Amino acid sequence: MTTATTEAPPDTRRPKRPPPSPFAIGAIIGAVALTIATGADWRYGIGFSLTEVLTDLTRPNAPMRGLVNIDLSILTNSRFLDAFAETVQMAVIGTICGSIVALPLALLNSHIGAPNRIVYGAVKLFNNVIRSFPELLWALLFVAAVGIGALPGILALFFFSIAVVTKLTSDTIDGIDPGPIEAARASGAGHWQMLRTAVVPQILPGYTSFAMYCFELNLRASAVLGLVGAGGIGELLNFFRNQGAWPQVWGVVAGFVIIVIIVEQISMAVRRRLL
Amino acid sequence: MSEPQTTTEQRFDTIVRPEKPFNWFRLIVTGAIVAGLLGATLTVDANWSRLPDAPGQLWTIARLMFTNLDLDALPRALEGMWESVAIAWIGTIIGAILSLPLALLAATNISSRATVPGVRFVLNVLRAIPEIILAIVLIPIFGLGALAGTLAIGIGSIGTLGKLSAEIIEGCDAGPVEAADAAGASKTQRIRWSVLPQVMPEILALWLYRFEINIRASAVLGVVGAGGIGTMLQQTIEFRAWGQAGIALLVVVGVTILVDTISGYVRRRIIRGPSGKPQEEEPAAQAEAWI
Repeated sequence: MTTATTEAPPDTRRPKRPPPSPFAIGAIIGAVALTIATGADWRYGIGFSLTEVLTDLTRPNAPMRGLVNIDLSILTNSRFLDAFAETVQMAVIGTICGSIVALPLALLNSHIGAPNRIVYGAVKLFNNVIRSFPELLWALLFVAAVGIGALPGILALFFFSIAVVTKLTSDTIDGIDPGPIEAARASGAGHWQMLRTAVVPQILPGYTSFAMYCFELNLRASAVLGLVGAGGIGELLNFFRNQGAWPQVWGVVAGFVIIVIIVEQISMAVRRRLL
Repeated sequence: MSEPQTTTEQRFDTIVRPEKPFNWFRLIVTGAIVAGLLGATLTVDANWSRLPDAPGQLWTIARLMFTNLDLDALPRALEGMWESVAIAWIGTIIGAILSLPLALLAATNISSRATVPGVRFVLNVLRAIPEIILAIVLIPIFGLGALAGTLAIGIGSIGTLGKLSAEIIEGCDAGPVEAADAAGASKTQRIRWSVLPQVMPEILALWLYRFEINIRASAVLGVVGAGGIGTMLQQTIEFRAWGQAGIALLVVVGVTILVDTISGYVRRRIIRGPSGKPQEEEPAAQAEAWI
């Protein structure tokens, strides 16, 4: 033991770093194991290798040649315009009808809005199940049910919109101001009157902006529904792809991207105004 | 007036309610929605006469699927779904690695004004293209199978991940950045020591969220031949092998919900931190990241 002196240098050692938490260690090990199991070249892995990617990329290939000769004249072609109009119509109908159904579902999907636990559980389960369906899977099912055309596409987007808007809206319900709810209850409102006068006005701006966001999603999604025969611009894409007409494929994609970006900018401006 | 009223009731009767202010914005939005719905419904070339059949047909399909589930197809379904999960996981890693530098270049508080608009434009374009369309273009280059699907998911994730990561980076506290600046840190050191430690938990949670979304996307990539369970789904539904389709559907829904649950738990734990302080509201950005 040494005696303390006034000229002893101050302790300049760095404080030790705290060890990583067991959670962090577990998560890192889990992530690395999952990466190796999924990426490695074995029976249950996809065998991802960068050298393969590079050799495939350096070979001459048709899509890239098509990109160089991109055919933008397709954008004024009546076939593109018709297919595109159908895509927009499908997205509009699917989004509006889906959002209308989603509002009551969103109310029932929250602790505040559900009249009892059984309804809450049932709606939550229903919502979780339809939420795990990708839009293309809905399209496959509805093509099998009602035949090809725009109708299965509309129905697919309808269900997809219900899932998206319900989830996003019900997430905001749990965070609303409880004051109006108490006020409504105190002045004798029934459950549905309370929802109508205290909850709905609070979530309406969020709900509207989610519905608009969902329209953007649907516009993007409706471009691929045609691949399984559910109408819209995807049918045109599929047609050109089967012909190997890559310049036209890129032309359609370019037109689609421009329109999606324009719609997104408009929608973002309106949503900013709403919130 | 037959009954004499008390003064309170009389006053209540004569009270003038304030009029609701007239909201032009609401009127315009409502009008646009109604007009849009009517216009689209009347002009679309859909076979509406088949709509009344849809619920019945869907019910028939569901009954055919789930009353004679073909359990022999289970190993094939599980294998396909595992491949979809693998495509989603590796694809998310690719998207995460490529999006982080782009996000730094697109954040106004880190990068110069010269690069930001260009990078943002690239991210917007990437965001607008659905994964399946990327897969269609990539299949002739990389062949049918999981590689094309993985790259489609990876490239498709860059746009959204880059945009939302850039927003997270822009929202970080400027104090540590200034401190590092004052201590003579270079640009790289500033990013390494003052920006990344602040934003990494949120960005990690964002990546996991994207993984959940990518599982939904990779489950249908097989429709165009890019690997995963989608091939089985499409073939069994197209050839009306409902027993097998039912198994595939159950596997897709079950695995998706399972992965959502695990990933959601990990995400909340990352955001909350080990101290277990009450969970903050999920950033609005995450809700936006739906797809």
